[in-house]
Amino acid sequence: MAGPIAGLGYYERNPRTSFGVFSTVLKARLRIVSRYKGALLMELFMPIVFAALPILLGVSIASGGIDVGQNWKDTTGTADFKAYMLIGASTFMVVMLMTWLVGFWLRREMVSGTLESIWVTPAKKYLVIGGVTGYALIRAFVAFILSFVLGSFVFGINLFQGNMLMAAMFILVGLLPLWGISFMFGALILRIKEADSIINLLQWVLSFFMGVFFPVTVLPGFLRLIAQSFPPTWMTNGVRAALLDVSFFFETWYMDLAVILVFAAVFPLMGYGIFVATERRMKKTQGLGMY
Amino acid sequence: MAQAIIKVENLSKTFISKERRKFLRPKKRTIEALKDVDLTIYDGEIFGLLGPNGAGKTTLIKCLTTLLIPTGGAAWVNGFDLLKEENMVRASLGCMLMGERGLYWKLTGRENLDYFGALYHVPKEKRIERITYLKDLLNMGEFIDRTVETYSSGQKMIMAFAKSLINNAPILFLDEPTVTMDVHAARDLRRIVKQLNKEGHTIIYTTHQMHEAEELCERVAIIDKGEIIALGTPTELKRSLNVKDTIEVQGAIPKGVIQTIKEMPGVIEAAIKEEKRGTTTLGIMCENSRVILPRLMEVLLENEVQIEYIKPMEATLEDVFIVKTGRALSVDTAELAKEKGRDAGGRD
Amino acid sequence: MSAGGTIHRGFGLSDLGLRQTFYTFLSMSKKTVVEFSRYPVSFVATFAQTLMILAMFMLAAIVFMGSEAGLSELAGIMVYGFILNMFLIFVLWEIGFSIREEQYRGTLESLYLSPANKFSNLISRVFAIGSWTVVMVVVSLVIVNYYVGGLPANDVMLALFVLFFSITGILGIGFVVSALVLRLKESAELLVSVLQFFFMIFCAMFFPFYALPDEILNYVSRWIPLSYGVDSFRSILVGQTPELIANVGIEIVIVVLFGILSPLIGYFLYKYNERKARLEGSLAEY
Repeated sequence: MAGPIAGLGYYERNPRTSFGVFSTVLKARLRIVSRYKGALLMELFMPIVFAALPILLGVSIASGGIDVGQNWKDTTGTADFKAYMLIGASTFMVVMLMTWLVGFWLRREMVSGTLESIWVTPAKKYLVIGGVTGYALIRAFVAFILSFVLGSFVFGINLFQGNMLMAAMFILVGLLPLWGISFMFGALILRIKEADSIINLLQWVLSFFMGVFFPVTVLPGFLRLIAQSFPPTWMTNGVRAALLDVSFFFETWYMDLAVILVFAAVFPLMGYGIFVATERRMKKTQGLGMY
Repeated sequence: MAQAIIKVENLSKTFISKERRKFLRPKKRTIEALKDVDLTIYDGEIFGLLGPNGAGKTTLIKCLTTLLIPTGGAAWVNGFDLLKEENMVRASLGCMLMGERGLYWKLTGRENLDYFGALYHVPKEKRIERITYLKDLLNMGEFIDRTVETYSSGQKMIMAFAKSLINNAPILFLDEPTVTMDVHAARDLRRIVKQLNKEGHTIIYTTHQMHEAEELCERVAIIDKGEIIALGTPTELKRSLNVKDTIEVQGAIPKGVIQTIKEMPGVIEAAIKEEKRGTTTLGIMCENSRVILPRLMEVLLENEVQIEYIKPMEATLEDVFIVKTGRALSVDTAELAKEKGRDAGGRD
Repeated sequence: MSAGGTIHRGFGLSDLGLRQTFYTFLSMSKKTVVEFSRYPVSFVATFAQTLMILAMFMLAAIVFMGSEAGLSELAGIMVYGFILNMFLIFVLWEIGFSIREEQYRGTLESLYLSPANKFSNLISRVFAIGSWTVVMVVVSLVIVNYYVGGLPANDVMLALFVLFFSITGILGIGFVVSALVLRLKESAELLVSVLQFFFMIFCAMFFPFYALPDEILNYVSRWIPLSYGVDSFRSILVGQTPELIANVGIEIVIVVLFGILSPLIGYFLYKYNERKARLEGSLAEY
């Protein structure tokens, strides 16, 4: 259709078109990922494989005549170390997805040059990134549920124990600060060439400090402090406390949740701020096309 | 009479592609990319290979450079059997086939050249000497010591060209070497190609730019649908057309009119040379432009064509291409860009 | 008159003699090392990551055991399995998957245009991988040794003998993978990731074999030759009877056979797939 060229052409800025940016990006990502069935399947099995390693370690130690359950209970509060590991591995998968998906998306778009074509549109960046992270949130949540259910079958874990609603709440609220962390990853990727390795490393650092395979309470004082300043640590522990006999860091669930809520308020703002600042600096120095 | 350095006999290549279908067995489709090609390239010539996209040009080059194994036929390169003495053939060639691709990003230009020199079994001392020589020849500045990831597109092209020269091979395959270069760099490259040819290198050159082919090539082959449909010096090819004149018309020309023009008596062929923002450039090959011009004007005016200009011209290689293939190469190039998106196959 | 009536104009600067063939191989090896060194962050990252994973398992093990009694033996089993795992991961990615990267960048086609031996391109990576892993292995051994107060180390020479053939066997796996990657393209990354975890669990690289359910042990683990490499290597060092076959001699024979046959199988499969790729014209597709 040929129309008269006047004003801003077809550009129309209102809440509806703004939401359109967000939802279109979100849908596009979901559509794209649905074409990578192998990767999705992998995501489902990763946490199970990941949990299997320490569980098998526990089983092998147990066959040496050691009461592994009791030992585990003495330190963590629950003898069900299988469930403990599976929850740890599943939340770790969520963290991996949140950080990796956003980071990897940026990287891909940078390499293929499509990032520049997105940036030259008048769409607000937070809407585009919001769409991408929104997609990451959905994918991470679904991955958690599926891998937890499937893992429970594989390891013979009682799925219906503890307060499942509260566990779900800890995950959902815990995802919000992760959102902010993913922005920070994005900023890092914009700045650094070998971003893939950094992300890889940071993921392992995160997994170490969020206590995927062991209670962070066994860490010495200062390491423990670092661990507890990571929002995912609180999310993992919250889910474990809700489902198993693990205690909350602050004894009561609402105190722990409150801490996560504070993280949820601070991290996204901080992350977005860092991202925008990095991007502005990039524009001044070298431009987005360089990588 | 010059001696042959490349000889191709009945060379054919058939691809079988499987079309995936839901619930059904994949449907097999055979594509004959090369049909019994015969070709001789003489020692010391610059040989141009022209053809529309998907015509088999790249397949032929890939076969001759051992990247593809042909389905049938035989070929000899530099005294070696293409099928039986692959490594000898490879050692005889210098190739620039994939544009700026094919370099290691994390190595510097110099390290890349050294590495590929080693792959061609060039001894270390000679490599060092050769790289210094190439640096001067190709006017490579300080960038030779930077990692390739920092290069501009043009610098990568120069590096890829240098790579093809590293072993100082008797035969050079240059597949569209100037495609992403700016005008100056392209002119320099053509100058060097001529110089290399004078030094005794045989050069097989493909391009989408007819003026390049006319300027450089002693002989030219046009490939279409897997067959060589024309072969000779540019002058011979132009003469063979029986075309005394060509007329170029530019303006807003509806598609239907072109068919009418083609059917006019005295017109041999008509094809679009270029299309831009509603303006079409049409090439018309005819026996005698003076005879045809009045009638042509009538047809154009009857069909309400908005004419920007009409001019009689001398026949060019482009016209040969149009008559032989029914398309213009420049239009083909534009199509190529569109196709790139979905086509996973080779570059033509 | 030369073949086909074409004349021969020499090879330019190329020297196809044996001596230069050897130097070409050296240049290839050097180039991989240089390339590796251009990724310093990745070097540090892999290293830190390795220690991080090890630390996680150790901490979990300590909590499981309740006390530190018998920790050194368990640490031995974990760390020694880990060494093989590290070689495996490097080989899978840097030999197996690297083909994909070269295909993508177009350098694979450049390689195939040259008269250099294509297979030595794969072998030339061994030096870079080898030196990298050895550094990592040594440092992690020192750290863990310090932490648990001495790792068991019986018959080191025999263990090194087993390690050597396990590594050549692992290289063979890498060749097989690169042969598959040559044709698989897009799904290559998935294949390599799956294999990585497959071997990690079914070859019991981080825990003793008896942790695996009997069905898995009998129907999967025992059928993977690499399992015997893992088992004999750590049993020899820890000074235990192997778990899979009580006679360590038989296990060593299996490992040696694996170490010899696997690279050969890998070589022929690579050659076969390479020919296929050149017939289909898929060498450079990406």
